[in-house]
Amino acid sequence: MRNKEYRVSDIMTCCISNMLQDNETVFHGVSSHLPMVAMKLAKSMHAPELVHLNIPGGVNPSSIKNASYSSAGADLLGTAEAYFPLEEVFDLSMRGKLDVAFLGGIQFDINGNVNASVIGDYHKPKVRLPGGAGSAVLIPTAKKAIIWRVKHDKRTFVEQVDFTTTRGNLWKIVTPLCVFEFRKGKLYLESIHPTSSFEEVRDNTGFELLYDEIKFTPEPTEQELVMLKKIDPYDYRSIEF
Amino acid sequence: MKEAIQIIKDGDTISFGGNVLHRAPMAAVREIARQNKKSLKVVKTAGAQDIDLLCSMDCIESVDAGFVSYETKYGLANHYRKGVQTGKIKGNEHACYTVICALRGAAMNVPFMPVKGLNAGDLLVKNDYFVVVEDPFSGEPITLVKSLVPDVAIIHVHECDEKGNAIIYGPKFEDVLISRAANKVIITTEQIVPESKTKLNADRIDIPGFLVHSVVHVPKGAAPASCYKKYEIDDKSITSFIKMESKDEIKMYLKDYESRDYIGERMGRAL
Repeated sequence: MRNKEYRVSDIMTCCISNMLQDNETVFHGVSSHLPMVAMKLAKSMHAPELVHLNIPGGVNPSSIKNASYSSAGADLLGTAEAYFPLEEVFDLSMRGKLDVAFLGGIQFDINGNVNASVIGDYHKPKVRLPGGAGSAVLIPTAKKAIIWRVKHDKRTFVEQVDFTTTRGNLWKIVTPLCVFEFRKGKLYLESIHPTSSFEEVRDNTGFELLYDEIKFTPEPTEQELVMLKKIDPYDYRSIEF
Repeated sequence: MKEAIQIIKDGDTISFGGNVLHRAPMAAVREIARQNKKSLKVVKTAGAQDIDLLCSMDCIESVDAGFVSYETKYGLANHYRKGVQTGKIKGNEHACYTVICALRGAAMNVPFMPVKGLNAGDLLVKNDYFVVVEDPFSGEPITLVKSLVPDVAIIHVHECDEKGNAIIYGPKFEDVLISRAANKVIITTEQIVPESKTKLNADRIDIPGFLVHSVVHVPKGAAPASCYKKYEIDDKSITSFIKMESKDEIKMYLKDYESRDYIGERMGRAL
């Protein structure tokens, strides 16, 4: 008997959690509640020695329950085991010692170009976006870059991005509909979430879907859902939805 | 406060402490807006209401930052966004790390810093503060970022003595670095403590007084941003600011904070 009491935000969180391995050093930045919860979930389930790094510099915060409006707040240091500030997290990545970085973006294309800068012309933008924050230096230097985006439509997955904030060295992109993997210079459809369908992914993606076989993302397990309620009782993982 | 902010000249490069909605020196930012400074160039890894408020009052010419936005719950920094879109403000987009490197360059008084990582994407193509050169030692290409020297850094701290010896509790973000990179440092502080107390914690001083130009006592000087273990963000204030569109509304907002922003000095006089 499978538990159907889960939402897309739960699938995304669990699926990201399962990409993380024990002993990895993992960084998330500002406006990153869903990856923050996924990291905590991984630590609580299969990766107890995962090292959680963040902007305020708290290494392995024991709780994320008070990080309500910010994933860059002092709570992440208040309950941490050590202080390792942001500039040193960047230095760590430059030395090739950051295993995973979580980054955002507004537009993506099949060639792995990421836009977090502008819609329209770079110097005369139609929309000035917040900016890529650390992504332009972290995507090229982290061993694995995972991108999450809670929108999946033809304005997000486009034929060609308006501006390339950074490119290449992506590993996975997780959306509310599916997971893409970047290999051989292209985005491949890796798995479709059980709440979606091939047709839905196809109809909402602005480029051709490349895939080897059609697979589905595993559903969250009972244990994962129980743990999510415990570590994230206020449902920060759904803030962006 | 009035006096401290008067050292800022139109056209100066300014750097603020804190990060997004945390420990930004908001009382000083509001005073800059009240004094109607113009053509400021702001340098910060990740800004939110500090940059947005100064953009709304037309104080800013350019912003060098990796990220300018509120977090998820509050949405984009619309005054900044509109300023860049209409061409009033130049948005110099960095990766946050390149701002750090540009400040490190300033702290060492060298014209540029080599920076790794920035070898993909078009930020280095479209912006003139990044240049790719050949490493004279290995012959490999390396990106340089131009150093950014703030004329003035403004940092809000938890405690500080009258000489400016300052201690930050909790996350320091880039504050220690900007205090070394800037020509002048203004400290706003929750609390002025006697020198005898800071002396007991000399090894905990983050910013030594000899680097500090002026000290302003402003309890709740980061509000509506948060200050570690002192206060959380003021949700109501931020929410109401975000809805404001006209300069008149924002002037009222600044007026509303005026007595709170000068309270520390009044307390000082009463002593």
